[in-house]
Amino acid sequence: MSTKEQRERIELLQGTLDLLILRTLRLGPTHGHAIAKAIEFRSEDVLQVEQGSLYPALHRLIKRGWISVQDGTSENNRRAKFYRLTARGRRQLEVETGKWDKLAGAIARILRPAESEGES
Amino acid sequence: MSRRKRMMEDLDQDIRDFIERETQDNIERGMPPEEARYAALRKFGNVTRVKEDTRDVWSFVWLEQLWRDARYGLRQLRRNPGFTVVAAITLGLGIGLNTAIFSIVNTLLFRPLPVSHPEQIYTFSATGKSSGNAFSCPDLEDIRKQSAELFSDVAGVQILGATGFSMAGKGERMWTDFVTGNFFSMTGLRPALGRFILPSEGLTAGGDPVVVFSYSFWKVHLGADPDIVGKKAWANGRPVTIVGVAPEGFRPLSNLIDTQGYMPLGMAVVDTETKAGFLNDRQDKRLILIARIKPRVTEEKIRSVMGVVAKRLSTGYPQADNWSMLNAFPLPSTGPTSEPPSGLGIVGTLFLTLAGVVLVLACVNVANLLLARAGVRRGEIAVRAALGAKRGWLIWQLLSESLLLGALGCVAGMAVGWAASRVLSSLPLHMDFPIVLDFHFDGRVFLYAVAVALFGGLIAGVVPALRLTGGDLNGLLREIGRTTTAGGHGFRKGLVAGQVGGSMMLLIVAGLFLRSLLNVQNSEMGFDPRHVLNVALNPSLAGYNETQARAFVESVLERARALPGIQSAGLAVTVPMGGNNMGAGIAIPGEVAPPGKQAPSAGYNLVSPGYFETLGIRLLHGRGITDMDRPNSTRVAVINQIMAERFWPGKQPIGEHFSLEDDPAHTLEVVGVVSNSRTADLISPQGPFFYMAFAQKPVLPVTLQVRTYGKPQAKVSEIFALINSLAPGMPLVGAQTMTDALNTPNGLWLFQLGAGLAAAMGILGLILAVVGVYGVVTYMTEQRTHEIGMRVALGALPGDILRMVLHQGMSIVAIGAVAGMIMAYGVARLLGHLLVGVSSSDPVTYAGIALLLALVAFAACYIPARRATKVDPMVALRHE
Repeated sequence: MSTKEQRERIELLQGTLDLLILRTLRLGPTHGHAIAKAIEFRSEDVLQVEQGSLYPALHRLIKRGWISVQDGTSENNRRAKFYRLTARGRRQLEVETGKWDKLAGAIARILRPAESEGES
Repeated sequence: MSRRKRMMEDLDQDIRDFIERETQDNIERGMPPEEARYAALRKFGNVTRVKEDTRDVWSFVWLEQLWRDARYGLRQLRRNPGFTVVAAITLGLGIGLNTAIFSIVNTLLFRPLPVSHPEQIYTFSATGKSSGNAFSCPDLEDIRKQSAELFSDVAGVQILGATGFSMAGKGERMWTDFVTGNFFSMTGLRPALGRFILPSEGLTAGGDPVVVFSYSFWKVHLGADPDIVGKKAWANGRPVTIVGVAPEGFRPLSNLIDTQGYMPLGMAVVDTETKAGFLNDRQDKRLILIARIKPRVTEEKIRSVMGVVAKRLSTGYPQADNWSMLNAFPLPSTGPTSEPPSGLGIVGTLFLTLAGVVLVLACVNVANLLLARAGVRRGEIAVRAALGAKRGWLIWQLLSESLLLGALGCVAGMAVGWAASRVLSSLPLHMDFPIVLDFHFDGRVFLYAVAVALFGGLIAGVVPALRLTGGDLNGLLREIGRTTTAGGHGFRKGLVAGQVGGSMMLLIVAGLFLRSLLNVQNSEMGFDPRHVLNVALNPSLAGYNETQARAFVESVLERARALPGIQSAGLAVTVPMGGNNMGAGIAIPGEVAPPGKQAPSAGYNLVSPGYFETLGIRLLHGRGITDMDRPNSTRVAVINQIMAERFWPGKQPIGEHFSLEDDPAHTLEVVGVVSNSRTADLISPQGPFFYMAFAQKPVLPVTLQVRTYGKPQAKVSEIFALINSLAPGMPLVGAQTMTDALNTPNGLWLFQLGAGLAAAMGILGLILAVVGVYGVVTYMTEQRTHEIGMRVALGALPGDILRMVLHQGMSIVAIGAVAGMIMAYGVARLLGHLLVGVSSSDPVTYAGIALLLALVAFAACYIPARRATKVDPMVALRHE
């Protein structure tokens, strides 16, 4: 964990981690480590998942009924906890994604007003 | 629970799994196994913290933490018993004061009447020429019928007739309400014993001779006899049957009036003053009306319907019911009035606010105590923070400690408040009237005490908690073991200056109240209350008729004059501040009041010969009432100076005539002029007043007043014995000295109560502020020990040190005092009409209080300053 590495990475906004976990699980059930890796990999290491927040987030999602957990066997035949998106979670993901798109669009319009004006 | 446990076990496994995978990844990247594992662990971070945070997702975090913090707080408090006790007592005093004052306000403003759905009970008053809140029996019938769309029922009560009640040869006076038959059913309550008065009762004069007792009368005067129902007794000499006992605390009309018995309205004829035909006499206004409103009736609806009723009745009966409007409004819990009370709320709020200021002063002291421990605590807190405690959590933990102090203070405060309200409840009112001050604690008072304690705990704790956890805790960790300068001087000085200001404000308000009281006490009353004894004579209690009654009171007067030690004696129908005031419209022959203007009016009293001498009212011209004034001789009047000047300006009024508007047949001849004297109360402007001869217009009951040579109390038994010898079995009701009689709610009582409460708050505030000043100056001096030692070493003289510390302390006091005066002026202006003879910016009070505060504060600064001069430079310098 060098400081340089840290500087290039962005800490996740409150609540976005939940969204990313749901999105990751849409590809299929998987275990905690894989979720963290997937998020980091797919964001090309820009986003860093803090383990300190991963597990509370996972449990929060379980509590809300958006994901479920079960025992499973991983690729190298090890027993592990597998997290799976529930039907409710799937719906929630759509809602949250819609919200996120709106938010991101709105922020972009504020931050880059000239560009958007020029485009229109 | 089991789900949470399973989830946590899963989590353990999951975290292990995670770390293993990370280790594996690291090995694959080419790290040696050992290093790979450490890197994985490092990356994962604080495992315990992660587990804790995850567990929080599943638990009732706040509840568990509350419990944990409470235990932690308790341990802290037990470790410092001295601090805990001082802080709890300080908070307890503040909370107790607030609770006691709220218990008064609660009784006067909030406690609903003990009937079912008290918010539905309304009362009436009329405006116009026949204004007031008393109605006649035919009025009641008409109003009940014509307002049926608003009210499910309307009942009438003739309140508080003094009735002579006797049973088995023992006589008492019983304050009786005469009620219409539907009164009890309207309250929706059940009797404790027997039955209430029935709707069919009370319709005929003298019919249905039954009586219902109040619970306390039954308990105190009748020994709580369980077989009382069905027994016979006498009311003013008429046989009555006891049919029931009302439930405990039954005060359906007012929280302040303790009615002792209830009889049907028709039984009001037991009072000899009641005319036989009163049930049908529209002029005979004797009833207070109460009604139960129907659901969903709006204010506008009430106004429009009552307006129609008022119009119809005043057109139909222009003599008796000359009303411009009939008002219906919720019955205040203090009792029937002619308009909804308004001033009470302001006074209540004012006193609660002042009490709140005292509480804040107490909280500041506790906060200062907590801050003084900051040096020790900061080290501990820095360690906790380093071990991973979040700031919010630390703040909460410190707050829970002060909230616990608040809880302890709450217990102490309730005890203090309970004792105080007991004392207030038992304050003697010196009134010949069944007023009861029952400031007992109910749920509302407890709730208020808890809320105040919560507020106090928070206020005391929030500042220290924020300051203790703020700043660079890591830096502090390194300093542990060394002397810590916990900073925040300026802040604590500010707190104490605020405290001085608050106490200054309280003291000035108390001072203004006290000056008002003294002004009222020393005001020229126009009579001399010392050595005067009042004995109430009510012969109708024994069922005497008018002739018998007159003979009785005149022989009592005659015999009383002959008693040894009696200077003079007289009879009077009204006693100053007695609450029983009479007045009449006046007509002067040859003078016609301009149309549209009301006739002039004056207050009056009916007195016997000897009255003016007894009360010490000076005769200025002519003569007083004498034995010459017999029933068949010329009717005479003695008038006061104001009346002489107003009605016969520039003339000698002796020999002039006037008559009473309601008794034009008898002309009164003015035979004397006496000095003005106080009659109804001690503060309102005095008006015209005249005295008629009791012999020419006897009204009962009457009061025998005697002027004694020695102590007036000493004569009570002799006079009672005298009455007993003349009329065995006559209820002996009330004897009191005139000095006591002045301490009634009409006289000095309210001023005494106001001044007493304000003074208690002021003194408490002063003590708290002095403790605060002392504490902060001591603290500052201790912090400066090193510097002072240096100064002494460099040649500063003890006087210089003394001046320096005193200057520092007193400058805080000065700032606070100025702020306090400004606040006091703001509050005093709100007091307005409560102040008598003293302006809200009275310079004497302000200067006096400032001086008092300065002296006390000086003493509080002097002790630590003096100590500072004793600093040994060698010790002080070695200290660091």
